[in-house]
Amino acid sequence: MLDPYILQQLAIGLSLGMIYALMAIGFTLIFGVLNVVNFAHGEVYTIGAFAGLMAISAFGPPLLVVLFIALAAGALAGFGLERMAFRPFRRFSDEASLKSRAMREATLMSSLAMSIIAREAMEMVFGSQFQTVDLAYLINKPIHIGPITIVNGDLIILGVTLLMLGGLQWLLKKSPIGLSIRAVSNNALGAKYCGINTDRTIIITFVIGSAMGALAGILVGLYYGAIFPSMGFTPGIKAFVAMVMGGLSSVPGAVISAIILGLSESLSTSFMPSVWSDMVAYAFLLLTLIFFPQGLFGARRERV
Amino acid sequence: MSKSLLIKLGLLVLAFALIPALLVGFDKGYYYQIATIAAIFMLLAASLHLVTGVAGLLHLGHAALYGVGAYVAAILGANHGIGFTLGLPLAGLSAAAIAFLVALPTMRLMSIYFAVATLGIGQMLYLVFLNWVGLTNGPNGVMLFSGINLFGLEIDSDLGIYYVVAGIVAISILVLNRLSHSYYGNALRSLREDDQCASAMGINVTVMKIQAFVISAFFAGIAGALWAYTTGYISPNDFHFSQSILILTMVVVGGLGSLPGVLIGALLLILLPEALRSVGDIRNIIVGVLMFSAILFLPKGLFGEVSALNFARRVLGQGWAAKKGEKGIGWK
Repeated sequence: MLDPYILQQLAIGLSLGMIYALMAIGFTLIFGVLNVVNFAHGEVYTIGAFAGLMAISAFGPPLLVVLFIALAAGALAGFGLERMAFRPFRRFSDEASLKSRAMREATLMSSLAMSIIAREAMEMVFGSQFQTVDLAYLINKPIHIGPITIVNGDLIILGVTLLMLGGLQWLLKKSPIGLSIRAVSNNALGAKYCGINTDRTIIITFVIGSAMGALAGILVGLYYGAIFPSMGFTPGIKAFVAMVMGGLSSVPGAVISAIILGLSESLSTSFMPSVWSDMVAYAFLLLTLIFFPQGLFGARRERV
Repeated sequence: MSKSLLIKLGLLVLAFALIPALLVGFDKGYYYQIATIAAIFMLLAASLHLVTGVAGLLHLGHAALYGVGAYVAAILGANHGIGFTLGLPLAGLSAAAIAFLVALPTMRLMSIYFAVATLGIGQMLYLVFLNWVGLTNGPNGVMLFSGINLFGLEIDSDLGIYYVVAGIVAISILVLNRLSHSYYGNALRSLREDDQCASAMGINVTVMKIQAFVISAFFAGIAGALWAYTTGYISPNDFHFSQSILILTMVVVGGLGSLPGVLIGALLLILLPEALRSVGDIRNIIVGVLMFSAILFLPKGLFGEVSALNFARRVLGQGWAAKKGEKGIGWK
């Protein structure tokens, strides 16, 4: 049988991967539709965590209500983000400017700017220190399964990830709104000619993706008991790596890649100092970009 | 011709006589510090301008290459007794060497993927600065006590340091100016507009991109060495991702592809937060807001590329002025 230590590392890696996956789902959804990278996704995640935290410290609702408050905050943040950082750059809807490099990079930089503003504003309001979370809400009660120990948060995060993944697949494949999202993602202009309200579809995509990001934020915040304004940066990059590895527009691919990423990070700590484990993610990013330009699971898309 | 000479002279007088005179007049260490920081960031922005503005490659890891220069200069100066005269070019060359290694595999990536790859590389270098304690002293940073020693000449007055920094920055910007307003710069601009077309016209796209990237990294390394020598202390946080964004913002606010605009942008983003210091620590918010409003309201930047090119051509006579008795040959 496997060494219990390795099993424990695998369990940690799996839960780490689930956390990245939680974030990557929303990220990939937004990328798949708009073909732009939303650099502010990490801040949406932080906003979700802070909304949950404020709800907890204000009136201490049950955990489920906290999660819904975070979802609502994320949806709102996504709506605002789309309005401010993305809508102004869709003034020109002809094919050339939709596909132009300048257009895509303008939204890239505007979302980057929004993320700086949001992060710094949160830092001004809350300070850059860790916020204390009411211990009763932390989801890190240990559960022993044979030789390994996991915490109840692992199960919650696993459940939420599966629920989100399943829900999203159902939404995309079975519901009318999913149909219009897929249409816009395939060809925005064509969808418009067919009478699909592309602006509304894009907003809905943002709202769904950001709500998922915010949910990830509060869950991870409660899991680690650490909520602070720049908490979204590293998971944001990890989610991005997972998305690139998964082939950019494939949500299940991103989830699988996120799990691979989490597993390799936690296994890497057994033979090198843990401060270097972030290096694994960046190395994966570069290796994927260089050797698997289509991603590990993705559809073909011109990238080189 | 006389007009162009006048403007060039005017800029030189401004940088080497007027500003030093003002600095001496106020005589506060704080103003000297701001002046040198502004000069260093002007060089950083001008070097990023070559990659992002002219060649159109969105580069999100510039601060890390700048950090390589700073660390090389500081470690050589502090531990190996290699002074400023040799340390400065070595810092530039090592940043350029790392950029070359980085560029070889990544330069074939298309726009956004290149941006992400540079982001990843910037973060990797940052992790090295932060965690390779044996070499970089980790989060504690490196102290550099030896002053600037230029060819055996010890320079320790604030004014002298300003002159050294301003001189090196001016020469570097002159080189970058010649590069971006020349046939070479035009070839880079053609890559930005359409690299397939440029390649069909006989331009070796990948080689040109690598060259631009390496040249820009060289000057970023020079800027890093200047930073290490003027502040005397460097730590990993000076080269974090947010610094890359700050430099990128200077380029975007000033105007993509416009060298004068980029310099104005750098000045604006260094001086404005200092001027607003009394309001509180809102420097980074200002960066974000300026970047956002520049993208939204001034997509061409403060000093757009077309007007900047006209300016360079008409007023500075950058290589376009016909010699006596010859026909103007246009872009040279």
